[in-house]
Amino acid sequence: MRTAVVALTLAVLALAPVRAAHAQISFDARRLGMGGVSLGRDGNASRYNPAYRAVKNRSGLGTGSPKVTIPIPIGLYSFFRDHPINQLTHDPAFNPDSAGFNPVELLNLVLNPPIFLDIRKPPAPTNDVEFTIGKNQLIMNLGQTRVLIPDQSFGLGTSGRLLDLGAGFGAFHVSVMGFVNYDVRFTLDSALRSVLKDSVPVRADSSYFILTEAIAQTGLSPTVSYAARLWHPAALEPTAGAANGAPNPNADDGVYFGAAGHYYFGATYGRGVGPAGFTVGSPIFGVSPSVLFDGVVHTSNKPNGRGIGADVGLAWITGPFEVGVGANDIGAQLTWSDTKVQRILYDPNGDSISTTLLANHVASTTKLPISYIANASLRMGTGTTVGGDVFNAGRGTVIHLGAEQRSGPLALRGGVARDQRKKLQFGFGGGLRFGAFALDVGVWTSSSTLADKRAMTMATSISVY
Amino acid sequence: MKARAAVFLVLVAACGQGKAIFNVDVYSFMAGTGKDKISYAIPPLGSGSAATFQKVQLPPGFGSSIVDSVRITIGSADLMNTGGAGQLGFSFFFAADSAGTLSAASALDVPATSVSGNNTVPVTISGDLSPAIHSLFTKDSLWMRVVATGTNSGATPLTGTGVLTALVIRVVLQDKIL
Repeated sequence: MRTAVVALTLAVLALAPVRAAHAQISFDARRLGMGGVSLGRDGNASRYNPAYRAVKNRSGLGTGSPKVTIPIPIGLYSFFRDHPINQLTHDPAFNPDSAGFNPVELLNLVLNPPIFLDIRKPPAPTNDVEFTIGKNQLIMNLGQTRVLIPDQSFGLGTSGRLLDLGAGFGAFHVSVMGFVNYDVRFTLDSALRSVLKDSVPVRADSSYFILTEAIAQTGLSPTVSYAARLWHPAALEPTAGAANGAPNPNADDGVYFGAAGHYYFGATYGRGVGPAGFTVGSPIFGVSPSVLFDGVVHTSNKPNGRGIGADVGLAWITGPFEVGVGANDIGAQLTWSDTKVQRILYDPNGDSISTTLLANHVASTTKLPISYIANASLRMGTGTTVGGDVFNAGRGTVIHLGAEQRSGPLALRGGVARDQRKKLQFGFGGGLRFGAFALDVGVWTSSSTLADKRAMTMATSISVY
Repeated sequence: MKARAAVFLVLVAACGQGKAIFNVDVYSFMAGTGKDKISYAIPPLGSGSAATFQKVQLPPGFGSSIVDSVRITIGSADLMNTGGAGQLGFSFFFAADSAGTLSAASALDVPATSVSGNNTVPVTISGDLSPAIHSLFTKDSLWMRVVATGTNSGATPLTGTGVLTALVIRVVLQDKIL
């Protein structure tokens, strides 16, 4: 038990640089080639701005969204060429008994599935680590790997909607959606950070720990939403102003408003806070370190979370210009009327974990993080479209800026993004359209790896318009 | 022990490819226990030896690792001679248990140093340990025997004490740890 707790604690620490990069995950090579921005009315804009429920998709206008995007997993070819499927059991990359086994590379593979082609693979850290050990001395020099020790809190989490089943009538839409929210955050105490990052000697009779805060909640949410065009220029008929009966490119002009009210039925929730680490004795190597694990955990007894929240959004479209802003789960607070609070404590004497009930059948409250998006795009009339968005789903703000230049069937794209780690990422690509089909290629950089250096990946996809 | 193993294993694993280097200050475990001293008393025109034993604790969990090198990087002793004249040298033996050190081959021999009268002579100890004992350093612990061997060239007994003042063993592993 003791080993498991310490290993888990330190594994979390050692893998600290693992950071989610949700905003970078997409199967659309067009979007990836523009640094993650979507110039169409799909993706994050329609998901997080309820006003877009009333806006027609621009499919067919060149810069619009395809009906279907099919990724071409060319990365799998490269992966299975390097790792033949009939030899996986003997592959050094997956065989811990092999001298070539590197758990960091394996984790990188899990975090970055080889769907797309790695042009520049995320470098796995190669590094010597040095430990100085004495009866009352322990110094850890992690070498270059020290840069991976985070200075601030780290973790992962998301707030999402699993499904949205319902029907609409007019501007109204009634549905039931599932919601899920989890957030795990770790913070190294300053002493542990100094030991790992600055090679400060471990002090006798001292504790070193990671403070862990975690919450997970899920449930169903009946929703009533409204979305409509509140204002639009007069006499904008679908074909007005367009030559030869072509669709009027300004037919979507107007101001759109959308709002949704949610009643949340929480099904289950858990929340835990506490330190996890170890305490060294005196002398340091005179006695084995004892495990430090002391958490307070709140859990729901029944699926009785209740709460309300709202989404709201606006979009303004005028000719080639379009801007929108939306927010989700505003004021979303759930009250769980029947929860219990327990203390989970590791007992070093018995090498076991004890659970003490601190309170039962008490109420607890939780919140869903507010997600928001602001997006804008401009069709410049020369085949050029530029756009950008600012997006936050509760785990940090991501900014995307991108542009597309179309010339006949050819499209060139480029973009830049600031990711959740506030690092700049870049994308470029192109596409070739054949009638209702298009083949797109996008290349982008990412830093969502343990190596903390940019990797470069190429995606290809087929779009059907 | 298991908790300590987890600390090292996870940290080393997280650092990816590379070598794990352990500088084990063996002297710190010996100091103040009396094991850092070897008293000698060699009769005239004779030879003799005396020894001290020390168990060395190593980071556990490296049983599958490949040892690149084992070296005494920092080592010193004072030969605190109290009488007579002769030469004293040190030899280091390693084995999985204390008894094994008695039959093990020497892993490192420190050339003999001349001593005489009531003087203290410092001795530097350093060098690579024999590859034959490398595999011992993948274990959780091993035993070390330090032998002081002397020859008395004079007509009076050679007496004194050899006192270790520093001993750091550097172990370099290819961290195949799982």
